[in-house]
Amino acid sequence: MLQLENVSVTFGGLTAVDRVTLSIETKDVVGLVGPNGAGKTTLFNAISGLVRPSGGRIMFDGADVVAAPMYRRARMGIGRTFQIPQPMHELTVRQNLLVAQRFGTGKVDQKKIDEILEFTSLGAKAGRDAATELALTELKALEVAKALATNPRLLLLDEVLAGLETTGKRRFMGMLKDLHAAFSVGIVIIEHDIETISNLCHRVAVLDFGQVIADGTPAAVFSDPAVIKSYTGAEHA
Amino acid sequence: MTELILQALYSGLLQGGSYALIALGLALVFGAMKVINLAHGELVLLSAYIAYSVESGLGWNPVFAIPVSLVVVCLASVMVYLVVGRIKKDREINSLILTYGIGVILTNAILLIWKADVRSTGSSWLQEAFVVGPLYSMRGEVLFFVVSLAMIVGLWWWLSRSWYGRAVRAVSSNRNAAMLMGINPGYTELVSFVVAGILAAVAGVALFSYGVISPAYGNVLTVKAFIITVLAGIGSIPGVLIGAVLLGVAEALTVTLASSALQELAGMGLFLVVLFVMPNGLFGANGRRG
Amino acid sequence: MKSKLALIGALLAVYVGVPLAFGGDSYVMSLVVASMVIGGVALSWALLGNLGGMVSFGHAAFFGVGAYTSALVSMKLGVPVLVAILMGGGGAVVASLLMLPVLRLRGPYFALAILAYAHIFRILATEWTSVTGGSGGLASVPRLPEILGYDLSTKTGGYLVILTIVLAFAALYHFIRVSHYGLALRAMHESEDATRVVGVNSTLLKGLMLVVSAFMCGVVGAFNAHYINFLEPDYAFSGLWVTLPIVAAIFGGYRTITGPIIGAVVVYLVDQLIFKNIIPSGHQLVLGVLLVGMIVFSPEGLLSLVRKFMRKKHVAA
Repeated sequence: MLQLENVSVTFGGLTAVDRVTLSIETKDVVGLVGPNGAGKTTLFNAISGLVRPSGGRIMFDGADVVAAPMYRRARMGIGRTFQIPQPMHELTVRQNLLVAQRFGTGKVDQKKIDEILEFTSLGAKAGRDAATELALTELKALEVAKALATNPRLLLLDEVLAGLETTGKRRFMGMLKDLHAAFSVGIVIIEHDIETISNLCHRVAVLDFGQVIADGTPAAVFSDPAVIKSYTGAEHA
Repeated sequence: MTELILQALYSGLLQGGSYALIALGLALVFGAMKVINLAHGELVLLSAYIAYSVESGLGWNPVFAIPVSLVVVCLASVMVYLVVGRIKKDREINSLILTYGIGVILTNAILLIWKADVRSTGSSWLQEAFVVGPLYSMRGEVLFFVVSLAMIVGLWWWLSRSWYGRAVRAVSSNRNAAMLMGINPGYTELVSFVVAGILAAVAGVALFSYGVISPAYGNVLTVKAFIITVLAGIGSIPGVLIGAVLLGVAEALTVTLASSALQELAGMGLFLVVLFVMPNGLFGANGRRG
Repeated sequence: MKSKLALIGALLAVYVGVPLAFGGDSYVMSLVVASMVIGGVALSWALLGNLGGMVSFGHAAFFGVGAYTSALVSMKLGVPVLVAILMGGGGAVVASLLMLPVLRLRGPYFALAILAYAHIFRILATEWTSVTGGSGGLASVPRLPEILGYDLSTKTGGYLVILTIVLAFAALYHFIRVSHYGLALRAMHESEDATRVVGVNSTLLKGLMLVVSAFMCGVVGAFNAHYINFLEPDYAFSGLWVTLPIVAAIFGGYRTITGPIIGAVVVYLVDQLIFKNIIPSGHQLVLGVLLVGMIVFSPEGLLSLVRKFMRKKHVAA
């Protein structure tokens, strides 16, 4: 479904993403890990259309989408959450989903919206102002809900668990676990916590200095010496 | 024909000096306060009319109006700053409308005080020919070009060496960080308005000394200053000077080759070309939007 | 039910009541018509600001282009006046399409760019003498026609036309605002990326708002040309078509739909009846002071200040 071929993103002299080749299918739940500054969010930005790659191809369903602007990619089926939640201002939670659904799919389906609200535990807050009346957990849930409303085939989750305390995290984890099955969507998730990743994903890709240094099952990847070195500097944990 | 074009280039160059002063004043305030002072052109015009009054009322050479203009225009500039500072919400939009309103007040005040007639200097000293080879200019043009250059160099030095100048740059680039360093942004904004006032005062006297002024001209000046900042791109003083000269030359060429009535069109045309072809200006920083 | 009755009552009042009350007084009617013209421009300006999130100082461009387009097609091509007015709107739309590249500029830069465009159009109208009649202008612009035996070229007739135009535009504004597009536009003000990431083509929507605003302003400008039967560049592109509508919209509350219209009527009448008598040649100065004062003390508009005051009284009681 998503095919990255030698994708590079450079900012001035800095190469944030370096010839990344990766392929994601609808059945995948892939974790994307790597030290800070490895280029994970930049890769997401390139896939979702926020930045233009300086090289390589991004193929979605066989077509190169590099020329498509961000809003077109959403309509194609690439959904994305932001690390720092960005709710749509001046609208309620329900209206956020309404806009996302109306413009991301072209139609309005109130039942689907109710389903998503239920799934992300936002039902009670549906009428509240999204930007000013939600707690952090709810804002993060809204990020996921908005993306789901666009009926995506690929969902890019950027550190959705960051900043959450233990109970919030656990509840969110439960939701994430059911995400793939409930919405038949391929997921790529950026997270720092190795345990979380191992729990959620059947496959992990590791990014370091913009390059993919490992791609396989969690067990294999996390015992790979190169991966351990990138995190700790030493060959063994 | 070549002679005409050379003359146009030369006249445009000289005009560019004062244009640069006007544009720099606008850019300075925008950098420090993220506010575009739509009344800036009117401040320049005010100075020009003060020069007129000094000449017609006291019979002096308009150059001597500079001290008076400095005081009046800087005061006016500070008052604009104080009013703008009163805005609490939605500063970007509200300050635009606010300064627009101030511009209307100034334009009409000028209209009331000095009437609608077109004015220009009667000073023969300023109008005396200053010839460089085949190129003709008025003494006033050359004098104020030199003065403008001196002021631009002074401004550049001030921004890079003096404490206040560097504070202005700091606040322009990151207000919060500047505050953490102990810089009082309110004070810095005030300083930038004062400096903009100084630049406007000199530019206004220059304008009167070799050009024509009328109450409606304030608006036009603000637009020209804006066009120059678009030409120059963000963050470059030499860029502003070059942009200003470009505008001056474009106008002079239009007057020479087409007609003086289309003079304003030259700037607008230049503006549109840059907008379509080089949206970051000729010297501006590059963006990365996807 | 109550609000429907109120709406019908209001419509009756403006369509029937006003002409009955003032129809005989030519001076009052001309003031009313002029204030409605300002109201139309103010409405288009407020729409661009509220829905499009863009402040413009160049609406005189749309007004003038609309006026000239309509006058010229009716004079030189014989197009019937009412159709010509719509084409005037079309002319303004073309002008706005030329402005699309400046959409990507941020707030202040956009406002100034529009101002630059306004200057360009004014100069074109003044210099393109062969087409526009130059600075002398166009005299004998065709009057509004007779419809079903009713002569629209009278003051009352003109009033009915502009009233219909303004009400139609107010309805359009309302429909956009409550639609899904209205929701997206609202969100775009402070969270444009958030809308883009879910599939909103924000650039297109903003462009559409500019086009709609231009169309409205152009139609009003065209109407005005046929109403006063005369057109010249300094009038059609005058800064007054910028200042008055802005003052009107802010005075009446630019966030509402009725605000700009009511504001226009009040501000224009006060300007013509009071300010002009105090300072005949610089009465715009008072407008400027009013504008500055309002922004500093009550940017939401003076009418909203009154509303807040009334609400406080209700709470206290």
